[in-house]
Amino acid sequence: MKVIVDRTKCDNHGQCTFSAPTVFRLDDNGILQYEENVDESLRDEVEEASDVCPAQAIRIAD
Amino acid sequence: MTTELDIPYLDIADPSFAMHSQAVRDARARSWVAKTNYGYAILRHEYVSKLLKDPRLRQGSAKWPEHNGVHSGLFYDWWTKCLLVLEGEDHHRIRRLLNPAFSLKHLEPYLPRFEELADELIDSFLPSGQVEFVNEFAQPYATRVLCILLGIPESEWPTIARLASTIGLALGITLEQDLPAVEDALAELYGYAEDLIRDRQANPGPDLVSRLVDANRNGDSLSDDELRNALCLLIFGGMDTTRNQLGLGVMSFMQHPEQWELLAAHPELAPAAVEEVMRTNPTTTWVTRETVVDFDYEDLHIDAGTTVHFFTQVSGTDPQAYPNPEIDITAERVGHYGFGGGMHHCLGHFVARADMSIALRALSKKMTNLRINGVDEWMPDSGNTGPVLLPLAFDAR
Repeated sequence: MKVIVDRTKCDNHGQCTFSAPTVFRLDDNGILQYEENVDESLRDEVEEASDVCPAQAIRIAD
Repeated sequence: MTTELDIPYLDIADPSFAMHSQAVRDARARSWVAKTNYGYAILRHEYVSKLLKDPRLRQGSAKWPEHNGVHSGLFYDWWTKCLLVLEGEDHHRIRRLLNPAFSLKHLEPYLPRFEELADELIDSFLPSGQVEFVNEFAQPYATRVLCILLGIPESEWPTIARLASTIGLALGITLEQDLPAVEDALAELYGYAEDLIRDRQANPGPDLVSRLVDANRNGDSLSDDELRNALCLLIFGGMDTTRNQLGLGVMSFMQHPEQWELLAAHPELAPAAVEEVMRTNPTTTWVTRETVVDFDYEDLHIDAGTTVHFFTQVSGTDPQAYPNPEIDITAERVGHYGFGGGMHHCLGHFVARADMSIALRALSKKMTNLRINGVDEWMPDSGNTGPVLLPLAFDAR
């Protein structure tokens, strides 16, 4: 599964890091870093991250 | 090198201080940061955006009770275990368990009832051509929305409004003298929350409280106390803010009647209308953080433990981020910080955005030519602000 973050929307609030901590993290400068290719077993976590994103910046491409 | 002398000073404790003032705009034109009697204020959008989410700052209200002489008791225990002031993994764990229930997809089933409620309230005063907006619309609407979400009978809204407002006294500088009333109200609200939790544990449904009762992650779930604390925070944080923001929103549109007419003609612009009033006229005019460590930023040194206020209306109208900062519900805008930001970004923002957009759409559809009809009364234009009384006259359409 492919994770896509729209960087024009993402505001680095970091809520996604609570839902899927192995996929999303904030670096030392507070900027979002994330895995683009993610194992199918993490789909629920990434969907939750997408749902709770305040900026609605995350989507999954199959 | 920035020195103390280069930084403007704003006396934000002065009763005459106002966010909408030339003094604040001049300070923003001069510098991204101002010194205040509490610490520092961040004025420009670019800097609010960066620093609000900086891990070297934490939420700034944790020590509020202690700074006001309150070191123990029911309110102290609730406040110090509240999501609002928790940090690190203690915060992340609870936020992770709460977040999904507040996502848009779980709110959608509630939206038709929000629409009916807005129409019912408007229809009750529409024929008279006048309304005291705070008490006849904003307060009952904001409180009944919470009742709908939590599954409390809507008829009990005056009690919920009274309890939320009384607990809200805890944010005032007279906390110590108000403490007995605050604790009585909190104990009563605990009773409501505990009844709700017991009921949903016995009779689970597709509602918000049931989702929170069921919230579970890798075997971890919210304890009954954690859930009760969260429900009380939801009521405490969700009522006054929404009520005040609706009043501020209507006031903004009264100052820009062409935008109100545009909204009436294009109800699909209601979500943009909410963003624009929160950007230009937010109820939360500052968001409070505190530095965790000694902090250097662009030649400015801030000692650990210093209060930093992020000015939301000031950064939301910063001409460098918004070349034409006046309210325009058709404009493409970068985001504002009326809901705060970072780890502590407002939990209920999807609810607030949805319910306020429904309210503004319904109001603009039925009312035009809004004007002040008597004496309006306002909280100071700083901290958390909004109208106390907003008597309006209007023409029905």
